[in-house]
Amino acid sequence: MDVISNLLKILSDFVADLIRSILGFSPFLADLVTMGLAAVVLITFAALSFMGLTYVERKVVARIQDRVGPNQAGPFGLLQPLADGIKMFTKEDTTPASADRWVYNLAPLVIAVFALASFAVIPLAPGVVGTDLNVGVFYLLAIGSGSIIAILMAGWGSNNKYALLGAFRTVAQLVGYEVPMLLNIIAVVLIAGSMSLIDIINHQTLADGNPGIPHIVYLPLAALVFLISGIAETARSPFDLLEAESEIVAGFHVEYSGMKFALFFLGEYVNALAVSLVFTVLFLGGYAGPILPPYVWMLLKAAVVIFIFMWLRGTLPRVRIDQMHALNWKFLVPMSTVNLILVMIAVKLFPTSEAAARAFGGILVTPAAQALILFTLNIIVLLVSLSLASRAARKQRLAEAELLERRRAANMAAVAP
Amino acid sequence: MTIQQVVFAVLAVAVIGAALFVVTTGNLFRGALMLILVFFGMAGFYVLLDNGLFAVAQVMIYIGAISILIIFAVMLTRGMQAMIPRNAQATGAAVAAAALFVAIFLAFGPLRLTVDFSAVPVLSALFRTETARTLGDVPWQYANQPVPETYIADFGRALVNINQYLLPFLLIAFLVDAVLAGAVHLARQRKPAELIAERREIAEEEAEEAAALRGAASPEPLPQGAMAATTTQDH
Repeated sequence: MDVISNLLKILSDFVADLIRSILGFSPFLADLVTMGLAAVVLITFAALSFMGLTYVERKVVARIQDRVGPNQAGPFGLLQPLADGIKMFTKEDTTPASADRWVYNLAPLVIAVFALASFAVIPLAPGVVGTDLNVGVFYLLAIGSGSIIAILMAGWGSNNKYALLGAFRTVAQLVGYEVPMLLNIIAVVLIAGSMSLIDIINHQTLADGNPGIPHIVYLPLAALVFLISGIAETARSPFDLLEAESEIVAGFHVEYSGMKFALFFLGEYVNALAVSLVFTVLFLGGYAGPILPPYVWMLLKAAVVIFIFMWLRGTLPRVRIDQMHALNWKFLVPMSTVNLILVMIAVKLFPTSEAAARAFGGILVTPAAQALILFTLNIIVLLVSLSLASRAARKQRLAEAELLERRRAANMAAVAP
Repeated sequence: MTIQQVVFAVLAVAVIGAALFVVTTGNLFRGALMLILVFFGMAGFYVLLDNGLFAVAQVMIYIGAISILIIFAVMLTRGMQAMIPRNAQATGAAVAAAALFVAIFLAFGPLRLTVDFSAVPVLSALFRTETARTLGDVPWQYANQPVPETYIADFGRALVNINQYLLPFLLIAFLVDAVLAGAVHLARQRKPAELIAERREIAEEEAEEAAALRGAASPEPLPQGAMAATTTQDH
């Protein structure tokens, strides 16, 4: 049982031992080789899951829309990603005549690099993590802003009006939705007391290794807003207006073909995978879980989150650009800010650690009691903001109806002699 | 040579190369991209100094926000691609940079040029020292011990400590608030009457400017159509 649950760790230790002792490398060289191997394994994991995800997504969305999906290549169409890959490789690699060649050709590479870079800090099982940064969460956010640059490079480098429009939309969306994402991550960091992803998982795990209270129970509202802004950050439906084929052809990657296009595609799916893994770590307790080995739990939970992404994509229509901005700036940001302030006060008033209680006063409570208090607060904030939003929307609708009515009356008066 | 030195050398070459490209290129967009590379290199230096927080903050703020602002400004400038930018300050900037480099080299290089600080009132006040006689001898606060494990928490406490950086921290918060309020004010929904008045104002200003420009050559007033034409332009 122990062997199975620690399989990844044992394997990596074995490889590290092999390199150090049997091949007789110096410690420095051995570290370098081990790190390089780890990077290769992580990138391969991401690329393979990209292939798998394209197939699963097409199947899931097809089922939701009452279709069959890919079923010709291999059993159940399982070889479809392979066929797609071959197709991508054999396509002509075009560059527009008036494109900025360097920028145009570098953009897909940059986007893939930034998408893959987030895997460096995501822990997949105890001890199986690229590097445990003590600013892990912050690192993820910073890496996310790098892909904005890549999209701007693609949009500008293509020298195409639609590509530029798509890039502008993308930047407006990604920069905007970074704000609620950040605000809700801060709430999680406040509760866990650390920015390291491993410490955040440990906070959701009991001392004996069994799963404790996941953060989604503490902060249901933060989890919801993080999920919404995560979908927007990865530019997935219903927030895929930056590559809306019916409005701006395909947005920033309209000029790309062949493997360069595939790299954009890879960036998109790898980002979605990374967001779901981060959601799992931040809110669902990461790899903590009973019976099954930790890495299975990690992937299972992430799979559920990804399934929600696909489900939303299969059912929701695309939002307009003004709706996208209004949802972010007029609803998610104010709500998250209020929620964050309340969480700050609640965490200070009801600390769970004795040291904090001694330093700032407040009532020492158990984690369960703190979870209950924060849960109630979150739900209250959610209900109040929803009712405020619905009241505002109702007022707007009534005003519009009144305006129409007045216009109609004026028209009637004009027609009547 | 340790691995740190190798990494430092690679980063330094990349940063200096990219910075030279930024100041010599005629293509502003590529210049902005290279500036991003410079920022990345600086983040790398922070990593070498064992300060992950500042490295990540550098990436987040300089690349995630400021660079994007610069790129947007470049993109929204009319006629960007056809333009051949000229820079009248290039010579002055080069001289200033060279002078600064020479000063740093003289002070910190093998020569250790001596400057009597106590003799110059500004310098003695600035560095609050009577003893430092060499620029290289200024008691800079070097980090001569490893960065402590709790540096993030220490940094956070220093920002809210009234004896340390509370005032600048609050001032920055105030500034950010003011900027946000200003942005909301600029982007607010305007009534048609307001918009018309605004456009008329802009048109009048432009007409005045045009008249002033033309006034030097010919004192005759603008033709009637000019104002209408400027109103329908890009505002």
